[in-house]
Amino acid sequence: MRLANVSFRYRRRDRSVMREVDAHLSPGDVVELAGPNGAGKSTLLRLLAGLLRPTGGAITGRPAVVGLAPDRFPTGQPFTVSRYLDHMARVCGGDWRPWAERLSMGHLLNVRLRELSKGSAHKVGLAQALMTEPGLLLLDEPFAGLDTGTRAELQPIVAELSARGTIVVVSDHQGGLRGLPSLRHWTLVEGRLRETAPGGAGAAGTAAIKTGTAGAGTVAVEVTVPAADLGTFLERMRGEGYPARPVSVEESR
Amino acid sequence: MIALAGFRLAAYVRSHRVHQVSLALLAVLAIVHATRAPAGQEASVLADSAVLVVPFLAAAARSLLDTEPDRQRELSAVLAGGRVREVTAGLLAAFAACLVFAALAMAWGTLFGMTGTPSGPVLAAGLVLHVLSALTGVALGALTSRAVLPSPAVSILALVSGFVGMLLISASPLYWLTVPLIVWAREAGADGLVTRLPELAGVSLLWIALGLVSYVLIRRARP
Repeated sequence: MRLANVSFRYRRRDRSVMREVDAHLSPGDVVELAGPNGAGKSTLLRLLAGLLRPTGGAITGRPAVVGLAPDRFPTGQPFTVSRYLDHMARVCGGDWRPWAERLSMGHLLNVRLRELSKGSAHKVGLAQALMTEPGLLLLDEPFAGLDTGTRAELQPIVAELSARGTIVVVSDHQGGLRGLPSLRHWTLVEGRLRETAPGGAGAAGTAAIKTGTAGAGTVAVEVTVPAADLGTFLERMRGEGYPARPVSVEESR
Repeated sequence: MIALAGFRLAAYVRSHRVHQVSLALLAVLAIVHATRAPAGQEASVLADSAVLVVPFLAAAARSLLDTEPDRQRELSAVLAGGRVREVTAGLLAAFAACLVFAALAMAWGTLFGMTGTPSGPVLAAGLVLHVLSALTGVALGALTSRAVLPSPAVSILALVSGFVGMLLISASPLYWLTVPLIVWAREAGADGLVTRLPELAGVSLLWIALGLVSYVLIRRARP
């Protein structure tokens, strides 16, 4: 999935929320999206989901199935949790019950949506996003209000999905996925997107490449290549089906 | 898409919003058909009924489309696989609700509003007019729904103005510039409804299609 020179503004005379964003996402990528309040993180997630169309540039290669968990789940609906999830399962053809079990939602199933606490409503939002078996999973502040047990469960869930090739983009202020070794970091500031490596910038003239995704049946490999060869190397790896990405340079070419 | 339309209908019914329009419509039907029309005026009864229900159907369509929170519309679009499917499902659900209300109005008028029995062609013309009413209601309701007009005050004003505008324009020689509601009723009174129905249905469908296409285009820009 590629974002090429993406810009966005809500109205014609408004200031651009996003300017000339370029990025590449490979299957299995997990991205932590950070930035100050109002920086446009939720807008970027909606652009990635296809809910908004860029006012400039293009987003291509979006996986066919997308899951979106909003920062605030809309509880103002006349359904119980199970009835709501049943409806959503019919819409997307998914199965929510395994996810409800993993998210410890058993006691919530007969509760009306209007009566849910913030954290419980958040779980419903996560369940409806996860049941689609998405190729692209977008989580907006997924750890906000969650109990400790569910917070601990969310990271393995993301790791499993990543291992199966799902691209996961998480807007998160709380660093809930920091334990994931393959986590990419995007920062959105004043409409510009920057990718930063966890350990800072790479050594001059070289770029470290991590190939593969840690998970069942896969292994992460670190390769150091001259910076000038980075684009060619990445293209070749991706062409062979490996989700390769740089870990010590700012930009994936 | 059908599943999503079912979800929206279920939300409309379970939220009790459905009672707002059904109570108002039942009260109006009871008053309008309090005395049966004399024999020979069956076409008029059916055409008047089809015109009368339009604002109620528009209110029903608007209310149904507004039942879903804005954020849920986004989730529905993502789950259904795109904005177009979400918009289409909403219109389908609104049409289904409007059809039920239009059928209720037609049944009430046929059973309690007339002395005689309508002939087959008149009954068929009445049926077509009520389907056109349902479609008109969907188009007007959709164009005044929250996704298009976020302010409730502006929205309800637009809905009422839209209906009154249709009445005024269709009462003029420029009736073809809108859904010709008044011409439906006028031709029914003059026994010309059956013969002019293809022309009137064509003009009506043109404006309904224009309204629905406008709604879809607006929704592409305003999620």
